[in-house]
Amino acid sequence: MLDRLLNPRRARQFQRLLRNGKVTLLCLFLTVIMLRGNLGAGKFGTPEKDLDELRETFSYIRKRVEPRRVLEEATVVAHGQQQATDSTGSGTNNYAEFDITKILKDEDDGVPEFKRDRSQPYSLGPKISDWDEQRAEWLKNNPNFPNFIAENKPRVLLVTGSSPKPCENPVGDHYLLKSIKNKIDYCRLHGIEIFYNMALLDAEMAGFWAKLPLIRKLLLSHPEVEFLWWMDSDAMFTDMAFELPWERYKDHNFVMHGWNEMIYDQKNWIGLNTGSFLLRNCQWSLDILDTWAPMGPKGKVREEAGKLLTRELKDRPVFEADDQSAMVYILATQREKWGDKVYLENAYYLHGYWGILVDRYEEMIENYHPGLGDHRWPLVTHFVGCKPCGKFGDYPVERCLKQMDRAFNFGDNQILQMYGFTHKSLGSRRVMRTRNETSNPLEVRDDLGLLHPAFKAVKVSSS
Amino acid sequence: MGSESTFSAQKRNTGVLPTTVATAGRGRAASAHPRGRQMNKTFNNVKITILCGFVTILVLRGTIGIGNLVSTEAEAENQHLIEETKRILAEIRSDPTDPNEGVEQYLELNATFSLGPRNSTWNKDRKVWLRKNPQFPNYVNGRPRILLVTGSRPNPCDNAVGDHYLLKAVKNKIDYCRIHGIEIVYNMAHLDKEMAGYWAKLPLIRRLMLSHPEVEWIWWMDSDALFTDMVFEIPLTKYKDYNLVIHGYQDLLFEQKSWIALNTGSFLFRNCQWSLDLLEAWAPMGPKGPIRDEAGKILTANLKGRPAFEADDQSALIYLLITQKDQWMNRVFVENSYYLHGFWEGLVDRYEEMIEKYHPGLGDERWPFVTHFVGCKPCGSYGDYPVERCLKNMERAFNFADNQILNLYGFRHRGLVSPNIKIIRNETVPPLVIVDQFDIRHSMRQGSGSRS
Repeated sequence: MLDRLLNPRRARQFQRLLRNGKVTLLCLFLTVIMLRGNLGAGKFGTPEKDLDELRETFSYIRKRVEPRRVLEEATVVAHGQQQATDSTGSGTNNYAEFDITKILKDEDDGVPEFKRDRSQPYSLGPKISDWDEQRAEWLKNNPNFPNFIAENKPRVLLVTGSSPKPCENPVGDHYLLKSIKNKIDYCRLHGIEIFYNMALLDAEMAGFWAKLPLIRKLLLSHPEVEFLWWMDSDAMFTDMAFELPWERYKDHNFVMHGWNEMIYDQKNWIGLNTGSFLLRNCQWSLDILDTWAPMGPKGKVREEAGKLLTRELKDRPVFEADDQSAMVYILATQREKWGDKVYLENAYYLHGYWGILVDRYEEMIENYHPGLGDHRWPLVTHFVGCKPCGKFGDYPVERCLKQMDRAFNFGDNQILQMYGFTHKSLGSRRVMRTRNETSNPLEVRDDLGLLHPAFKAVKVSSS
Repeated sequence: MGSESTFSAQKRNTGVLPTTVATAGRGRAASAHPRGRQMNKTFNNVKITILCGFVTILVLRGTIGIGNLVSTEAEAENQHLIEETKRILAEIRSDPTDPNEGVEQYLELNATFSLGPRNSTWNKDRKVWLRKNPQFPNYVNGRPRILLVTGSRPNPCDNAVGDHYLLKAVKNKIDYCRIHGIEIVYNMAHLDKEMAGYWAKLPLIRRLMLSHPEVEWIWWMDSDALFTDMVFEIPLTKYKDYNLVIHGYQDLLFEQKSWIALNTGSFLFRNCQWSLDLLEAWAPMGPKGPIRDEAGKILTANLKGRPAFEADDQSALIYLLITQKDQWMNRVFVENSYYLHGFWEGLVDRYEEMIEKYHPGLGDERWPFVTHFVGCKPCGSYGDYPVERCLKNMERAFNFADNQILNLYGFRHRGLVSPNIKIIRNETVPPLVIVDQFDIRHSMRQGSGSRS
């Protein structure tokens, strides 16, 4: 064809040129690929990365579903061949195949709703400045609801909670159940009331921040409560005999487990723990809640705050702002304002990181006894990072769940010994007798004196 | 390459120059083998193509690893994770028998079973103890001390949703008991191997009575029973001459001898000698194995409407009260003026109607005190009723009760099946005014009508 346009020689030259060009391009291409494969040409990345990206983009949905699939598939397979018969229109009687999320949905019941004004900067609620006076007045008018239930013993409300929807992990709810039973036992012995929250009060403060609006609401709605004790759902009581040293905190309003040096000197983000803390019901507490809240609202605010916190605090990884880091930051930067009313407790484990405790339970049983509350017999074992209700935690599932069972049994043994029983071993659900029944039950005393402990005694009115 | 073509061009030219004959010959030769040359060329091209292709593949495999396009590695890891999780779940769910225990020994048919050593001076012992321990009185603020006892099995439910509703049920009980100053014992241990299943409550109740003389009333409540009236309080003064308060119907009990004449899902036992005696008389049909099976046959034969299955505590109690009426009935109060136990089927569809017409505090069919989901068995694999109906209504009952709790805080569920809440009261009024008006404990004290 070219022959017709140009003279033969030109045509041939042109063809040659074309062939040369093709070969050159081919070689260049190969060279570039090889270079990329071996050296990775800077920010363009390697072909492997390209392919990964491509794969990710196209199988985005698949990847999202996969982690969930792991646990779901595992559950389905674990059930074996559950027959799915009865589907005659009246619905199945088999719990294995039912998806509860099908039926949980919002409906309008006609009661009008109030919505927060989004144009205003976020606040937990209208500002109150005279809470101490209001509360003192109320307590005077309501002598039946004293804020101290005995000498040196304030009225305490333990607050914990979990999601109103079933856990994503198939055994998550079981561990939540054991955890609340554990808290019920401790609180029954120590005369503490429990509030188990299952409602998200403020959608903007979701996740770890959800406790702030809840705490504020509870403080204002229960003036008779002197101390509010927040406790995470993954924290368990492991010393049933330890009573908190209330007199130690008579001049403080906020008690957390932590170390002064780690907060004020190092600004370490794990210098304190907000998984288990005490907050007094007073104006100061309302003020610190208001100071704490601004980093919480979901979205850009929380992201930006997260970056600030990672920058300012020692060792903090990069993620959105969490309440614990925010509190470290507040204390470290506003020490003069808040520091004198904050007590960073480390004489006992108001929060005990599980990693260093759970393997030593047998050693503790052999060498020590309940009532110490510290490293010898921790008050609280807190399973930070385990997230039994979620799909994945920061630690292997097996270790977390097995150790939670052990911690639960460790605490439960102290309850069962009141009635003459104990778990067969720390890993076993079965119980065995330690004390034979007698025909004089009242003469038997339990070893720890927990059946009728001094800290549960009612004020005896002099007659 | 350019030099080559020139060279070949020169070659061709020189090839052309020598002789026309040669050229003609060559031309003839060339025309005779134009296919040959073409084939040669094609062959060359193909060689080069194959070579280049081969090199490309080598290079690509080396860098990208085309073999992994199917992501078999991720698949393998996934599979491994699934296997691991399966194993862990199975281990957690199972109830492994202790290898040292040996074979389960069931009690012989004629063997006598006892809950514990006989105690015949409990009333006196208890009185003495209470006198010696005034800091643990049996009456607090003028009201008798009540201990609510409930429980569930120590291992996870067969399905996740079962544990979720156990959790919600315990939250529901915590809320009611916090408002009314009642303590809770949540049992997750099998205290007596032989009295397993629904019979487990008997040794537990006995143990708690004997260990807690300061407790005046022990209130057993099933794990599938929910409080739906947070304001209603049990009128204990009504029962000062009675020791057992149980929901049921007298005519069903003595005239029809029906196996559902009473319900042992929610009842109260006074802490006294009489109760210990009743428990002791109740227990013999309980021990697992041939005793329970035989007892089941007796009960089915004697009670109206009872299907054939092993002896359960409810049928056994009914049978006991019928056959030993004179010994026990004078101290048993069969209550039906309020729903100490409310069978869910007749109640759950009417919640909206109740919200519209009535208010909490009534405790009866207008606003049931307890809604009891008998037969649903969410912790097992199969229930007696369709799953959707059971779970949906358990959610509704839970939210119906939760609304009464959230009312103090100014919230309400977005409908009875929703886990989400909405604000129904803005914080314009001072908080303590709200507390006086809406806190159930305060409105009860004042004796004013309660609001829903």
